[in-house]
Amino acid sequence: MLVLKNWDINLRSREKKTLRSFLFLYAFLTLLILAFVAFLYYGLERDLMLQNQRETLSNLTNEQIARLKSLHVNLGKEQTYPRDERFNSAIYDSSLKQIFSTLGTHKVNLYEDIYLKADRIYFIKELESYYLGARYIVLEVPAPPTWSEKVFRKLLGYGALIFSILVVIGYFLLGLLLRPMKETIALLDRFIKDTTHELNTPVNAILSNIEMMDLHTLDETVSKKIKRITIASKTISNLYDDLTYLVLSHKILSQDETIDLKVLLEERLEYFSLLFESKKIQLSYSLEEGIYLTIDRKKMTKLIDNILSNAIKYNKMGGMIEVVLSPQSITIKDSGRGIDKNQIDQAFERYTRFDRSVGGFGIGLSIVASIAKEYALHVKLDSVLHEGTTVRISW
Amino acid sequence: MVKKVLIFTLVISCLGAKTGVYEKNCIPCHEDMAVKIDKFFYRYLLKYSSEMEVKNAMTKYLKNPKAENSILVDGLINRFGVKKKTTLRDTELQEALDTYWDQYQVFDKLK
Ligand code: HEC
Repeated sequence: MLVLKNWDINLRSREKKTLRSFLFLYAFLTLLILAFVAFLYYGLERDLMLQNQRETLSNLTNEQIARLKSLHVNLGKEQTYPRDERFNSAIYDSSLKQIFSTLGTHKVNLYEDIYLKADRIYFIKELESYYLGARYIVLEVPAPPTWSEKVFRKLLGYGALIFSILVVIGYFLLGLLLRPMKETIALLDRFIKDTTHELNTPVNAILSNIEMMDLHTLDETVSKKIKRITIASKTISNLYDDLTYLVLSHKILSQDETIDLKVLLEERLEYFSLLFESKKIQLSYSLEEGIYLTIDRKKMTKLIDNILSNAIKYNKMGGMIEVVLSPQSITIKDSGRGIDKNQIDQAFERYTRFDRSVGGFGIGLSIVASIAKEYALHVKLDSVLHEGTTVRISW
Repeated sequence: MVKKVLIFTLVISCLGAKTGVYEKNCIPCHEDMAVKIDKFFYRYLLKYSSEMEVKNAMTKYLKNPKAENSILVDGLINRFGVKKKTTLRDTELQEALDTYWDQYQVFDKLK
């Protein structure tokens, strides 16, 4: 399963997009759930810690209340609010107005009982006798020093563990999700490979036998028929080449050589001349001389053939094709049916066909793309629906 | 001349020391009592906490004093006897209580 080994080539961009959105969604959902659980866990830990602190704080509060009481009794002689280095405190009257405070903050939630805020614990108690008019007393102590660090370390540890487990599960899920798709592609590839084998010999036999015939000795009608047979055989032969390339491309070693593009293009136009004729296509070309490219001959041929055969295939009867070779590019323009704007991106994907009335497997442009990629050529596809397509290969 | 000086000092003393309702009405009567008026204040504070509630409770008591409403312990109320209803008008009583509050409240006093 040659093709399956290489995901990059195998998975088409649309499927990759699906894959990416699946992964994104999965990761997002996982993190959301984890965050929620972490939030709950944090709350639990915090409440436990506060519960442990409650008794100590209650005792400290009672001490402070005793001091407030003695101050209340001695008011007039004594006016210093009692302070303690172990905690800060504040008192509030029954309208929640602050009477005195040594707290770091002025925002205290007196309706709570005990709570944690900015690494400090606040403990609120209602007095039975309102010494100094104080109905509520608030104590503020720093939270146990390593507490939050410990909790966060625990959270991070567990979080990472669960996340990695979920990632592994996600990976298997993905495999499950992709299996039918992978199987379909593999099936198609295998089918093509098998067909290809059986196609080679007969097509070659036809073509070589036609070549051996001397067309001039035959009369008009027979020679016309022979020409048609030639065209048909060449179409099959082309298809055969495409399929071999597709199935074996990763095994074929490139044999790069310097190629005179003008010569090659003329040769290819000659090769397709019968096809041009049969569709009554007007061919116009201007090929500059002395333009060379170092590239594998077979691959360059394949690339040009595919673009030309598309230009013919999708052209109308009596349409036109224009081929221009300039120092930096080859441009092939046709007057075919064109491709819809938002489908252009898909044009290079394997098995994509826009018009099922015309034969083909939808592999031509994907081959063009893969060859262009190998040699860092730029392929630009400009198309206007019902007017024509321009393919420009530049380097 | 002597007359003028006399009138002047009289006016000054009138404007000066005992001007408010509190000073004129409450202090003279309370000054001589064994338990000072600040003690009463702190007892109210202990029971009612906020300014509003303290003032409300005092108003209620001063307008209609009853032994069972007093914040004094039984021994003291028996010794002093329940005071008479205030003769002040509402606004005057309010003013007196405001002064009373300002004098003894703890908000600005604690250090
Ligand atoms: C005629 C004298 C008199 C005047 C005037 C007077 N008081 Fe009193 N007051 C008393 C006596 C006697 C008591 C103690 C008995 C009692 O509490 O009823 C008392 C008690 C109080 C108490 C304690 C109340 C309680 O719950 O037992 C307060 C507070 C008080 N006075 C405030 C004032 C204020 C404020 C004023 C001025 C508006 C004032 N008094 C005017 C005689 C007076």
